[in-house]
Amino acid sequence: MKSKTLDSKKLIALIVGAVVLLALPLVLPNYALLILSFWELYIIAVSGLDLVFGYCGQISLGHAAFYAIGAYGSGMLHEYCGIPVFFTMIIAAFISAAIGALIAYPSSKLVFHFLSLASQAFGEIVYLLISHSPGKITGNYQGFFSDYINLFGYELDSYTSFYYFGLVCVIVFLVIKTFMVKSKTGRAFTAIRENTHAADGMGINVRKYKVIAFSVSAFYTAYAGAMYLHLTKFINPDTFMLKQSVMFLTMLLFGGSGCLLGPVMGSFVVLLVNEVLRALQDYQMFVYGILLLVVVVAMPGGLYGEIMRLVNFIKGKATQKAEVK
Amino acid sequence: MNMSVYGMLLVSSLAIGSIYGLIALGYALIYKSSGLLSFTQGDILTLGAYLGLTFYSILGIPFAISLLLTMACAFVLGILLEKGVIRQLLNKNVGAIYVVLATIAISYIIQNGSQLAWGTIQLNFPSVFPVQNVNIFGVNVRPEALMCFIVSIALMIILHFFMTKTRFGTSMRAASMDSMAAESLGIDVSLTTGVSWGLSAGLAAIAGMLIGPIYGVYSTLGSTIGRKGFSGAVIGGYGNMYGAMIGGLILGIVETFSASLISSTYRNLIAYALLLIFMFIKPTGIFNERAIQD
Repeated sequence: MKSKTLDSKKLIALIVGAVVLLALPLVLPNYALLILSFWELYIIAVSGLDLVFGYCGQISLGHAAFYAIGAYGSGMLHEYCGIPVFFTMIIAAFISAAIGALIAYPSSKLVFHFLSLASQAFGEIVYLLISHSPGKITGNYQGFFSDYINLFGYELDSYTSFYYFGLVCVIVFLVIKTFMVKSKTGRAFTAIRENTHAADGMGINVRKYKVIAFSVSAFYTAYAGAMYLHLTKFINPDTFMLKQSVMFLTMLLFGGSGCLLGPVMGSFVVLLVNEVLRALQDYQMFVYGILLLVVVVAMPGGLYGEIMRLVNFIKGKATQKAEVK
Repeated sequence: MNMSVYGMLLVSSLAIGSIYGLIALGYALIYKSSGLLSFTQGDILTLGAYLGLTFYSILGIPFAISLLLTMACAFVLGILLEKGVIRQLLNKNVGAIYVVLATIAISYIIQNGSQLAWGTIQLNFPSVFPVQNVNIFGVNVRPEALMCFIVSIALMIILHFFMTKTRFGTSMRAASMDSMAAESLGIDVSLTTGVSWGLSAGLAAIAGMLIGPIYGVYSTLGSTIGRKGFSGAVIGGYGNMYGAMIGGLILGIVETFSASLISSTYRNLIAYALLLIFMFIKPTGIFNERAIQD
């Protein structure tokens, strides 16, 4: 078995990685930093979805709703209650977690397919509410403006500063995810994913853990939504349509679900694909659909799964050779 | 408001309700035959509307024949989808989520493909009948709206007899009850499943051609209707053919009346709210179809 302490190779890799991540803003142009900032918030959103889908085995086609609740919640708390921006992000994420629990409680009885319908309906309802809000409190189709993140008087008004802030957030969220997955809760999630009835038989409170998974996931995604608002300073309802939920799922499945690195890789690749496709304009969604179909049909394990297979394949070859010798 | 306004509301709600019903009927057929959800129905409706428009208005083929041609095209498309994509995925033993995502991907392809083919501008579907309005019991009714309802009900009845009285329909029902037992009795389950997908695509395409003259034809016509069709299916009891039609009609009536009597701002919200309410409180729907819960 592996020892608990990091061996020297891993330590060096870690240090090099950290230095590269910290040094990136020094060499990259502003546009690349914006993309990287988006990457950071997508990692958080998709990691949240991974908790619910990859670990707990529950599908959601409505995560755009939590994304919206985070973004609009944070923006409105700032606009109408005057709370400083960083705190609004956390409060909005907690509100979203509560709403997630509220939705998950009655949904937990539904079988797989119908959970996707229920979550999709929830997503549509949230979309309609933010695009037709009473008294135009969300700005409806005109969109909603907000401010940069204010960290105790220090305003994150450049992509560079946002990048560093996002980096810290990603690390914090991924560490929490790792701990959660390895805890009793995480094991309950996996048991539910593998066999709900067996999990029930083992004395796991299935409904409780499904609700926990959903609300933690809603927290993650809402926080990412709030980051999105305060990065771009402007949102409109178009961002929070079903398309966004599908994109989160695509990122997750493309990267590989149920692991730490899957969402990290998947969100990066899909983000790049989206940026490249943007140049195609009219063909964008058409090509995106074809890509999605190809990925689903050809690569069900996701990028992470494929890479692990390759690694194992090479390792297998190596051991074979060693045995022959 | 006087009676004629209610009458007009009723006719337009029955028209849109029967469209939801046709879509929901397709969902029921697919769910019964393969136990899956398909997100492509709505976009096949759009495609049907575009195809119908092309046949009827551009090529000048009579409406009834255009309708049949459109249905035939969609039928083939449905079978190809099942055989080319869905069956391939199921044979690989992947999780159901991949199949759901694949249907979403196909719906993107159809929606944006038809946008590339026919453009982004809303097209006008020329009226089918020479008269603007017909007068029924003192209510002025668009004949197209009436046609929507009548054709849908006729399709429903034909489908009912097809499923219960013909040999092939019976084997389709047998295959959906227990595919392994049906297979051992010599029923070609692969064929019945394909035909189910083809039929549901055909129904969606007909729905598109019926709604086209009323709503106009544009590339996102079907995506909202497709999503609301789920609501109709859940209200009636997911997977039940009769429930689908009744659920669709109920949705149409509730939606149209509440939109015009209370407020039209949240017109679309009603369908989704009904879907959630039914799922949480009465998941078996009106026809007590046990599909949704474990």
